[in-house]
Amino acid sequence: MSNNTIPNEIERFDLSARIQHVIMFTTFLLLSFTGWGLKYAYQDPASAWISFWGGAKIAGIIHRVAGITMLLDFIYHQFYLINQARKGGMRLTLVPMPKDVIDAFHNFMYFFGLRKEKPYFGKFNYMQKFDYWAVYWGMFIIGASGFFLAFPVTVSSLFPLWSIQWIWDVIFAMHSDEALLAIVFILIFHFYNEHLRSEVFPMNWMWLTGKMSIEQLKHHHPAEYDYLYGDKKKK
Amino acid sequence: MRNWLIAVLLLSFSLLVLIPAADAAADAATCLGCHGSMEGAVNVNQDKYSKSVHGSFDCVTCHMALKGAQHQGLSGKADKATLALASEISPKSKIDPIAQAACAQCHPEIYQSYKTSIHGQNVIVKKSSDGPVCTSCHGTPHYIQPKSSKESMVNHFNVVKTCGTCHEEKHRAEKYGFSPLVMERYLESFHGRKLKVGHTNAPSCVNCHGSHDIKSDKDPASPVNGANKIKTCGKCHSGATEKFVAAITHKPLHPIAHFTELALIVLTMSVFAFICIHVLLDIIADIRDRLFRKGGPHE
Repeated sequence: MSNNTIPNEIERFDLSARIQHVIMFTTFLLLSFTGWGLKYAYQDPASAWISFWGGAKIAGIIHRVAGITMLLDFIYHQFYLINQARKGGMRLTLVPMPKDVIDAFHNFMYFFGLRKEKPYFGKFNYMQKFDYWAVYWGMFIIGASGFFLAFPVTVSSLFPLWSIQWIWDVIFAMHSDEALLAIVFILIFHFYNEHLRSEVFPMNWMWLTGKMSIEQLKHHHPAEYDYLYGDKKKK
Repeated sequence: MRNWLIAVLLLSFSLLVLIPAADAAADAATCLGCHGSMEGAVNVNQDKYSKSVHGSFDCVTCHMALKGAQHQGLSGKADKATLALASEISPKSKIDPIAQAACAQCHPEIYQSYKTSIHGQNVIVKKSSDGPVCTSCHGTPHYIQPKSSKESMVNHFNVVKTCGTCHEEKHRAEKYGFSPLVMERYLESFHGRKLKVGHTNAPSCVNCHGSHDIKSDKDPASPVNGANKIKTCGKCHSGATEKFVAAITHKPLHPIAHFTELALIVLTMSVFAFICIHVLLDIIADIRDRLFRKGGPHE
């Protein structure tokens, strides 16, 4: 498995993945900013905020274009995954495992001082997996409902007549409430982990370089380090 | 001969000028002489009046018959049609039903259309004090602004609130059988929100329900009744079908939608609570490690 020499840094995200991420967060921010004005239309700054984005019509166009771009980015990501698998060598490092539950439990014990060491994290820890799969949840719930809301006449023919009395309210709640969840999640969890945490402040530069130093890898993802370079330890 | 002609012309000209002046009756300035500075309901603000769409009118154009000794010699005479209408709408107009009825003189088509509407029927035929007359929606008659003005009560962005003054009231909803949540449900809909943030194409109440000729949704002539609804929604949503138009009813939220929303809120709040606790614990552990575990497993 290993060479005898351990490099100084390791690539975690290739160029394609980094570009996908940039498209994802750009469209995410645009969608959040424009959508926020409509969700809180009756709060005071909403109208001024919408005019900042060029008025209700332009803000609506920005929201739709960004939404479709994000969906395309998401679909592209699925092809990217297929391509990774086809090339071989794709490890299922992002798939949630029972170990993640144990890691989370250990991490909480560490927080409370009941364990001396951080959990034995793999290539992606449970928080990062949460981050990753949250996008899927968002895409299916917010993306699908957003698509329905953008083409209501066409989509209405898909629903049975007995659901008409509530289906649109459900779709609207899904779009609006889950968007709030996504924003809150990114704003608190993702921003803390990748921007505010004392080790990474002002940001984790990996989104641009795609690279992580070996010390970082060893410290934060010991299981991955051992997998790559630790065949002598054989944990 | 020529002198004669000039003399006659001059005479007739001075008569033209002098006769109305002699009767100087009630041009606005005369009335405002008192009413401009009076207190209470009889006060008319000259500035605002002159800026209204009717600001160039004499008061007696609408106030055709004035009562009381203080108005002696100033009053004109109302015609039969106005008097008849005034007596019909008198329950709605305590101060001067004749002035209230006078709108129909210059706006006969709107009056005819209003008369057939559910509002007009309620006021004129049923003599109810509930239905609106012109000023109920258009505002204080002395300061009426064009619909395009932001100050107009029937402006695209204000008219919802104007309709709401009556349609938000529970006792009226019960009495007339419309949804008591009609306003709330509209306001929280995409239509209502878009209108609120200034979307000029977003529909207000009147874009779907009509205005002067408004009908009950049970009336086959109503634009939101049965097959008409497909056409009405189709004004914006081309290709609207029966299934599509069934979505908007302004009825209270269906239980399924209500509980789905509740579940989503619970989900959002639990995730919110979890990540907040997680981040806080992480921060505390980080500070602890930096203070007390220097040279420990962390750096």
